[in-house]
Amino acid sequence: MEKVLLKNTENPNSADINEYKKVGGYQSLPKAFGMQPKEIIEEVKKSGLRGRGGAGFPAAMKWTFASADPKSPKYLLCNADEGEPGTFKDRQILEKNPHLLIEGMVISGYAIGTEYGFIYLRGEYPAAKDILNRAIKQAYDSGFLGDNILGKGVKFQLAVHQGAGAYICGEETALIESLEGDKGQPRIKPPFPVNVGVFAKPTVINNVETLSNLPYIIEVGGEVYSKIGSPECPGPKLYCVSGHVEKPGVYELPMGTTLREIIYTHCGGIKNGKKLKAVIPGGISTPVLPPDNIDCKMDFVNMPKHGSMLGSGAVIVMDETVCLVRVCYRALKFFEHESCGKCTPCREGTEWLRKILGRIENGEGAEGDIDLMLSVSSNMLGKTFCPLGDGAASVVQNFVRHFRPEFEEHVKNAKCRFK
Amino acid sequence: MITITINGKEIKLEKPVTVLEAAKSAGIKIPTLCSHEQLEKYGGCRLCLVEVEKIPRLQTACTLMVADGMVIKTETEQIADVRRGILEFLLINHPLDCPYCDKAGECELQDLVVKYGPATSRFKEKKRKVPGGLEDPILVRNMERCIVCTRCVRMCEGVQGASAIAVINRGGHSHIEPFSGGRFDCEYCGNCVSVCPVGSIMSRLHRHSYRPWQLMSETETICPYCGVGCTLVVQVRDDIIKRVVPRIGTPVNNGLLCSRGRFGYEFVGSKERLTTPLIKKNGMLEQATWEEAISLVAKRLGEIKDNFGSSAMGGIASPRCTNEDNYVFQKFMRVVLETNNIDSTARTGFAGAQGFIENIFGQGATANIIPGLSNSDAVFIIGGDPTAINPILGLQIRACSRGGGNILTIGHIKGLEKFNPVVLKPEFYSETVLLEGIVSALKNKKGLPGSNQKLEAKVKGINTAVEEIGEKCGITEEDFTKFIEILSESSTPSIVIGKEIAQSSGGSYKLLLISAINYLMNARIYLLSERANEQGLLDMGCAPDLLPGYRTLTFAEFRKRYETAWKVSLPEKTGLSIFEMIDAAKNGSLKAVYIMGENPVFNLPNSKAVEEALKNIDFIVVQDIFLTETGKLADVVLPALSWSEKDGTFTNMERRIQRLRKAVNREGMEDWMIIAEISKNMGAKFNYSEAEDVFKEIARVSPLYRDMTYEEIEKGDAIYPYKGEPLRGVTEEIQVHNPPEPPLSKGGLRGIAAGKLYLRLERPLFHSGTLSRKAPALVNIYPEAVARISLATAKSLSLKAGDIVKVSTKIGSLELPVEIDKKVDSSAIMLSNNFEDKGAFSLMEYTIDPVIKAPCLDGNEAKIEKVK
Ligand SMILES: Cc1cc2nc3c(=O)[nH]c(=O)nc-3n(C[C@H](O)[C@H](O)[C@H](O)COP(=O)(O)O)c2cc1C
Ligand code: SF4
Ligand code: SF4
Ligand code: SF4
Ligand code: SF4
Ligand code: FES
Repeated sequence: MEKVLLKNTENPNSADINEYKKVGGYQSLPKAFGMQPKEIIEEVKKSGLRGRGGAGFPAAMKWTFASADPKSPKYLLCNADEGEPGTFKDRQILEKNPHLLIEGMVISGYAIGTEYGFIYLRGEYPAAKDILNRAIKQAYDSGFLGDNILGKGVKFQLAVHQGAGAYICGEETALIESLEGDKGQPRIKPPFPVNVGVFAKPTVINNVETLSNLPYIIEVGGEVYSKIGSPECPGPKLYCVSGHVEKPGVYELPMGTTLREIIYTHCGGIKNGKKLKAVIPGGISTPVLPPDNIDCKMDFVNMPKHGSMLGSGAVIVMDETVCLVRVCYRALKFFEHESCGKCTPCREGTEWLRKILGRIENGEGAEGDIDLMLSVSSNMLGKTFCPLGDGAASVVQNFVRHFRPEFEEHVKNAKCRFK
Repeated sequence: MITITINGKEIKLEKPVTVLEAAKSAGIKIPTLCSHEQLEKYGGCRLCLVEVEKIPRLQTACTLMVADGMVIKTETEQIADVRRGILEFLLINHPLDCPYCDKAGECELQDLVVKYGPATSRFKEKKRKVPGGLEDPILVRNMERCIVCTRCVRMCEGVQGASAIAVINRGGHSHIEPFSGGRFDCEYCGNCVSVCPVGSIMSRLHRHSYRPWQLMSETETICPYCGVGCTLVVQVRDDIIKRVVPRIGTPVNNGLLCSRGRFGYEFVGSKERLTTPLIKKNGMLEQATWEEAISLVAKRLGEIKDNFGSSAMGGIASPRCTNEDNYVFQKFMRVVLETNNIDSTARTGFAGAQGFIENIFGQGATANIIPGLSNSDAVFIIGGDPTAINPILGLQIRACSRGGGNILTIGHIKGLEKFNPVVLKPEFYSETVLLEGIVSALKNKKGLPGSNQKLEAKVKGINTAVEEIGEKCGITEEDFTKFIEILSESSTPSIVIGKEIAQSSGGSYKLLLISAINYLMNARIYLLSERANEQGLLDMGCAPDLLPGYRTLTFAEFRKRYETAWKVSLPEKTGLSIFEMIDAAKNGSLKAVYIMGENPVFNLPNSKAVEEALKNIDFIVVQDIFLTETGKLADVVLPALSWSEKDGTFTNMERRIQRLRKAVNREGMEDWMIIAEISKNMGAKFNYSEAEDVFKEIARVSPLYRDMTYEEIEKGDAIYPYKGEPLRGVTEEIQVHNPPEPPLSKGGLRGIAAGKLYLRLERPLFHSGTLSRKAPALVNIYPEAVARISLATAKSLSLKAGDIVKVSTKIGSLELPVEIDKKVDSSAIMLSNNFEDKGAFSLMEYTIDPVIKAPCLDGNEAKIEKVK
């Protein structure tokens, strides 16, 4: 497959506007401005583009809602918080191909009818911040941003806002709170951001990768785009693979590539020829899978059939040397640390689960602890305010579901054999 | 119409509400913790989760809006499990120190756990600890108990508007912290305490002194402090007030209180209360019996009346006393002592300002409903900080801003600075020019409507150009134009007037200008009132020129009515105002004065001169609850029952008549009863056996309170205009006094203040007259008098915060610490008049505005120098 999102990124200067233009950059902009905003949304609808931030929500639908809201101004927010453990795909675009994102945002902004865009950037991405700011300046200087883009009278202002390092600020409403200067905690929905978002105005929030597809969709048309990868959710997809593979990294592949192909064909298989023990396919919040599931297609439609989710496409590969109790413990430690504290089950449950897991991992687990964990996590699941708490609970449930004997062994032997 | 089904029961709703509200309306109880009817929706605790058909996920009833056809279940197996689970989560880190938690017995968590909670604990680890350092004199925080429902934060930010506290940290480390660190630096309204469902923010005042179930009584009454007239619930054990709380649903304050109302009650039980009458013998006040004291008062007053005539006697009534007290007091003065020399400290501003405005617009022009402020689209404020003087009214202004209304202020108003005010800050003493400018601009924009010829005749000629405002007030054209634009485009404006207007140079003229603005804008006026029954005292006729119900004394017809009712003939001559009485005392023509519940030696400007004048008087009776500065000069001191120890009524600034109820038993007599006893001793028949008897007489004789009964007041209908007959329309010519403009300073453009400092009166949120001195909690919050100066003044005199300075004027000096405040006018030294021996009034001279008879306090030049 021809690279769309990571095009030209092997070029060390790919972030520069001239290098971007050399490979056809900013060519979709004039084409987009020649279309009616509605036509662009129609094209995106045809393309079948679904959000790459984790939930897979159809992009065109969000845009239609926001553009139909009479309130103004509207806002376009790019979610570059990339906080899901295991995920580093957006970073590739931000650092290597920032103009692709900028071009995508200008097109989206034009389509939705907004003049204001923000990139909400993960606090721990200082390099990306500099690169983005440089790119934004270049785009302003070249007339791709500002009050009269391409001399066509189109306006779009873009700025970077850096987060302070909270995972929850990747959740769209917490992101909005944070952008407004408040503590990052999710808001009640409805109303949804498309109607009442940042500064109480209609707001579209899309992931970096989602927005970066726009120039290509305009270039080749929705029809052509929709032929890439899985028919139900087409397009190129960035898979970022970490853990025990020979060649970890970010791979741009057609949506729906199987886990097996990703791990064995593209990443060179399990490191040092060890045995595969488990895969977390879409970031730590997605359910862990035992090896017998690796023929599943990595997309929004097929992953749920195997009891997991595509999530952010962050594949974490674990070989036979890994203690899964410890992984589960580390995950809960993460969730405990990142729980915003707004709702009871997540605030208290993550801490409790982490404590039980710590006990088991340290060989201090008691008879009944595993069931206690299942009970505590089921008291969380479906009861939390936002998906973070659900994610935490489901990690425990899925690790136990697939690897219960390993937990039982820890309790029975009162020690961890991987230490 | 929306139809939903909850637990099989069909419920019809007029408008969309939350599932929780819908359930409540149908008598279905859903347990909640974070939701609160006064606060914004939150959805955090998750206790109210319910099942909704067709929605796979459980939904929080407190946030979900009903939709037609919704089918909801609240009492399933699953929901019972959820509730048990949530409560278990809340308990795992909760200290469970109920045995010594003051909240136990009224703790929402405790109650819910008893009803829905788990039976045993499955949590084996150590509970979380929250860092200490939470010491505060008033608000006790116990953050281990906090369930992070954020009710307190939502209250402080979204209702009180103080934004003093927040949740700090994340996840399990979350707890509530004031931005100021361990100690609160806030408005101390205590409204966060009201909404905390558990014992994690509580009042230190009653700490560990009772359990809620031991309370002997709860009595609903009215706050003793300011003219807003908030309803308080006084909780008493063993005749000691343990706590004061608000109640949701009361008309003025609806579940909210300010610091004074909530924490200012301890004066009642003060050890310094007067217990027996005192009689001065050989220059010393000595304890005496009631018989001795009353007969002495009767005898001496009789003698003075015989020897010097009625006009040698005067009376000062009390804005802290009830309508009943004040009614009997003025009747005593008029009927028994036969003089109209009766007045009060309402004369220092409120009375004159109200009289002036009512003379233009008719009676009741200042009686507007306080919560109405929040519905205005613009509020224009001048002459004082409503959030400090009348805090609960101030909250309505904040709510107005929150709802998108415009806040327009003349001068910097501290309590509104976070509410996007549009501020015009005229140079010192150039307010008149600015007001003329506003009137001129509004006239040009709107034209005179022609409905009030008298007023129009007065303001027709006013024509102040923008340039003049720039020149004299130092306000740019841009700022002025923006202000006028917002004001003139408002369709439901309100005008809030503080006492500083009446107490400034050209007070009556300024009131004319503000009235003109009111007229041009068709606005509503709110006149801030610093004392709880300032309005009622005037209604009762405690004024030298007015009989009860504002019936002008000099109108024979009115006089006749009262002569018939009281079966006497009344003195015809208008009496002396409070300031004229002081003058008469000075020149020796006033021989006796009866002072009820007032402390003129402290509460009138130029207080030393007042003291000297009073010393001239042959016979002084002071009736009070404490031995005040004035009491010390008295020949006889009579101890009265205080607020919360007696029944009666107050009339608030909206002219709402409200019931004051006895909550605490104490031996003694109400003010009205003491006076009735004296009257009897002087041969008059004042036969009342309880406050209600007095009220019945008021309702019979005063056309303003016609047919009013305690029962009707109870119903909450006793608000102006009630059945009585107000006086409508203009009765007199509009007179104003507009002294010559103060000269410009050498620099030309900057008002008269350049280079000079002036003493100005500060009105702190935490104090009220001299009463709050005896409320230890308020003293704790704001312990001593300070001089507040601007940064510029501090710099030029090399003063630091906390330095002891000497502030002096022509008539005296005080030593006190200095505080620096960026927002204070650079030519002002702000000083309050609340603390013993440190009152601003001891340094302030005044002139009297001949129309409104209020003291003008402008132009008190002052020096400030460092002592150490
Ligand atoms: C706890 C939490 C964290 C999230 N973090 C991110 C993130 O880092 N980046 C992101 O793009 N979306 C994140 N999301 C998803 C966003 O809420 C939102 O769905 C997404 O930005 C929408 O963009 P898309 O439609 O383009 O996917 C997160 C969601 C949750 C619940
Ligand atoms: S589940 Fe609750 S506590 Fe956890 S992050 Fe979401 S809102 Fe915050
Ligand atoms: S007392 Fe009032 S101002 Fe202070 S923190 Fe509580 S709510 Fe806020
Ligand atoms: S202090 Fe009380 S009101 Fe505030 S969050 Fe904690 S429990 Fe809730
Ligand atoms: S606003 Fe006035 S009446 Fe209300 S509680 Fe405060 S002092 Fe009392
Ligand atoms: S009461 Fe509904 S979530 Fe707390």
